[in-house]
Amino acid sequence: MMAVAQPTMPGESRWERVARFWRRAPNSFRIGAVVLLIHLFVAATGPFWAPYGLSQMGTGIPLAGMSWAHPFGVDQLGRDIFSRVVHGAHIVILLSLSGTFLGLVIGAVVGLISGYVGGWIDEILQRLIEALISIPFLVLALIAIAAAGPQLAGQPILIILVVALVYAPRIARMARAAAVDIATRDFVTVARLRGEGAWSVMRRELLPNASGVLLVEFALRAGYAPVLIGSLGFLGFGMRPPTPEWGLMISENRALLIVSPVTVLGPGLTLASLVVGLNLFTDGLARILGRTVRLADA
Amino acid sequence: MTTPSPLLEVVDLDVAYRHGDGWARVLHKVSFRIGAGEAFGLVGESGCGKSTAAYQLLGYRRPNSLIEGGKVLFKGCDLLALERHELDRLRGNRISLVPQNPTTALSPGMRVGHQITEVLRTHRAAPNDAAAEARMIELFRLVGLPDPERVGRRYPHQLSGGQQQRVTIAMALACDPDLLVLDEPTTGLDVTTQEQIIALLIELRARIGLSMLYVTHDLGVLAQIADRVGVMYAGHMVEMAPTEMLFRQPRHPYTRGLIASVPQLEAVGRPTERSLKGLLRRDELPTGCPFQPRCAVAEPSCAGNRQRLEPVAPRHDVACQRWRAIGVPDLAMVKGEAPAVVEAAAIPLLSLDGVTLGYGGARGPLARLLAPVALPVVQDLSFRIDRGETFALVGESGSGKSTVARAVSGLIEPLAGAIRFEGEALPRSVGARSSELRRRIQYIFQNPDASLNPRMRVGAILARPLEIFQNLDGAAIRERIARALDEVRLEAGYAARFPDQLSGGERQRVAIARALVADPDLLLCDEILSALDVSVQASILDLLARLRQEHAVAMLFISHDLAVVRALADRVGVLYRGQLMEIGPAAEIFTPPFHPYTHALLMAAPGIQTERRPPATQRLASAPVAGNKGCVFAGRCPWQVGRLCEEVAPPWQLAGRDLRIRCHIPLDELSARAVWRPDREGPRLAEPVEPSFLPSKSRAAPR
Repeated sequence: MMAVAQPTMPGESRWERVARFWRRAPNSFRIGAVVLLIHLFVAATGPFWAPYGLSQMGTGIPLAGMSWAHPFGVDQLGRDIFSRVVHGAHIVILLSLSGTFLGLVIGAVVGLISGYVGGWIDEILQRLIEALISIPFLVLALIAIAAAGPQLAGQPILIILVVALVYAPRIARMARAAAVDIATRDFVTVARLRGEGAWSVMRRELLPNASGVLLVEFALRAGYAPVLIGSLGFLGFGMRPPTPEWGLMISENRALLIVSPVTVLGPGLTLASLVVGLNLFTDGLARILGRTVRLADA
Repeated sequence: MTTPSPLLEVVDLDVAYRHGDGWARVLHKVSFRIGAGEAFGLVGESGCGKSTAAYQLLGYRRPNSLIEGGKVLFKGCDLLALERHELDRLRGNRISLVPQNPTTALSPGMRVGHQITEVLRTHRAAPNDAAAEARMIELFRLVGLPDPERVGRRYPHQLSGGQQQRVTIAMALACDPDLLVLDEPTTGLDVTTQEQIIALLIELRARIGLSMLYVTHDLGVLAQIADRVGVMYAGHMVEMAPTEMLFRQPRHPYTRGLIASVPQLEAVGRPTERSLKGLLRRDELPTGCPFQPRCAVAEPSCAGNRQRLEPVAPRHDVACQRWRAIGVPDLAMVKGEAPAVVEAAAIPLLSLDGVTLGYGGARGPLARLLAPVALPVVQDLSFRIDRGETFALVGESGSGKSTVARAVSGLIEPLAGAIRFEGEALPRSVGARSSELRRRIQYIFQNPDASLNPRMRVGAILARPLEIFQNLDGAAIRERIARALDEVRLEAGYAARFPDQLSGGERQRVAIARALVADPDLLLCDEILSALDVSVQASILDLLARLRQEHAVAMLFISHDLAVVRALADRVGVLYRGQLMEIGPAAEIFTPPFHPYTHALLMAAPGIQTERRPPATQRLASAPVAGNKGCVFAGRCPWQVGRLCEEVAPPWQLAGRDLRIRCHIPLDELSARAVWRPDREGPRLAEPVEPSFLPSKSRAAPR
């Protein structure tokens, strides 16, 4: 986010600049950033301070409900749900980010090629992308998991690939739109007149100018990735038990919803707070990138 | 005109914009008044605060602006003190705005007629829908839109720029306002359209007695339309006078510089007074006179003394402590010598022979299947450019000028004909050309905002051609970049800046430097001045003239601005609808005989004349498609010779040493009809030119 051009004031230290940026950032950005930082902190350090192990049984009376010792209650097997949520944080976040990032790389490359090179390549890629987008994303994910076969089932790499597969075509569309727009600018024509190849034009001229769009697109998609991963877990196609993946935990405790609702509420609310935080952050980021801070004649 | 009672009065207006954490003052105690029925012009370079002042008349407040003091009295009522809903009742109704850019001002998804009736409905100016509809049609007729019923059903993108501007004017007039605020309404239009819009505004004033505030950077336009002019510099009003007095006897050194910066058709050389030096630097403003750093006649105390407007003559105020000392200038122009005629070399650097150009439909193979035939934009074009020669191609927008440059650069492939470079056929597409050829032909685009990659520093922008064409490495590149920046009069430190940290003129200098580092033989300059302010234009013109001397580079200079062309070009070709109408040495192009189209262009170009000219190019307004057999200008030509022009292609006639004119009308008659004269006494329309659709009695039918 420091790519945002900040007018440098004379005699200002790096920290003062960051502070000024923070003061002027929209509220959604600040709230989102705080929520995200808490999540990242838990993900990074959680396993070291979680009160119980991730599969430690007999921590309390099963389905005991909320208490100071067990803020999110205890599940059927006597495991502390709060500890499991904390242990699962880095799994959810890592899978989301790496899956979305892979999707971003594939989508950006495909989209830029499609938008800049054009012609038959563009037509073919676009029809392919439309076909992929027309399939509901959950169905697409399930087809991909089924096609991958049983060896890969439940592996983190499969989840990452599935997230990338679902998001790449959507990101590619945005990247293509940006590329088509930027390719009409004169500086691209200037590069072509110099005889620069397509790859060089894409890397030097298109990508830096599309980076704002791509950054927002990445953040937006990353905000929904935990939901996608959670849905897969809930349906039993994601990570395998006893992995403390939040969607899987909701699925495991679903049957106990009436007996002990808090067992579902804990992971559910945590997942929701991550998604809301990511979305607020994205919203603020988009506003910062879209805002032109220019002092000019009105 | 006697002093009218003020309809609007701006008193000591102070406005600041947020700048970082503080506020930067953009208007300093600006005061002016506009009488009922009066047209007041505000002029200055971009960034001087003229638009900011104008928008205060509409009560326009931006979240990052702060009104620090002053009043805007409209019929005695202070607009700045009004509540939002009270303002809403006034603006669009009693005070309305004609914006600079009609394309963005009109809603793209709404029929233009509906946009007008919406204004009427908002202000309850029409009792019912039928009345609103009738009023819309009446308004469209008033602003000279043909076939109002049908135009009203169009979307903005289906109208030309001139028509769109007419729609925004109609919208501004919808509720019979007392005051019209015009913010550079003709800046984005080409000369003939600009002339028509100005003629329309003059006519509207005569018919409905409107007051106007006209904001522009173009003094030539104000000379035609304004009663009084206020000159602004860095947020200060520096001079205010009736238009004629301002042009005859400008007092403030800045006003004089501005007037001297306007490219003149009337004089070949540069005027005696130097055009403006340097640029407005907001960070270096002295506490006293803001113009002091750029002023040639400043004395040290100017920097400290606050300058106040004081009367120098009745109704003529100037804010300069030295006005007595510097006196009244003599605005006589010096006739300079014409640009040296370059001896024709045996083999021209570039020659076009019967070239036909067109665009082959849309992107993508599917679209190409649907629209396989390219529409010719340029037909059968031939000309040559010699080594070191500057050849200018002039014409209105849409005449195919830029298409020619694109074909020479290899961006589009000619449909027919041959383009030769040093006698050898130029490979048709840029991909088929050698790196050496690509280096020798460099293209400079119109708009430096678009031609510089906003995410690259100036140094990186300049380094790229050096890496590709000159095969230089790190230290050599840095040294060469510093030299290139110096050549275009920028400091070496600019290499570390991003394009958006530069002004428009500086950006165009960078674009020129980027073309020059390739060490080209031919520069394609595609309207490179039209996006810039007049004073910046003058400095870029000087720069080009100097670079041409130093590098002996040939130029294909494309422009719609005849004054600029006259200042720079060795030879000129006049293009209309993709066909050359007239071609020859610059000195001869600007003397009679003229091709009728050249003549119309010359008449349309705004110079500085204080005489109000009748709308000379009204005849150019409608452009029926001529039969493709005859002259392309037939139907729009004021001197047309009956049906002959429509049916028979006109012959090339040799006039003078090297001037050729493509017209049926004999040369001596073309000379006789010309009313435009290249001397300063000026383009008065002596007698109206008779329409010659009738078979003429007075002259023998040509051929």
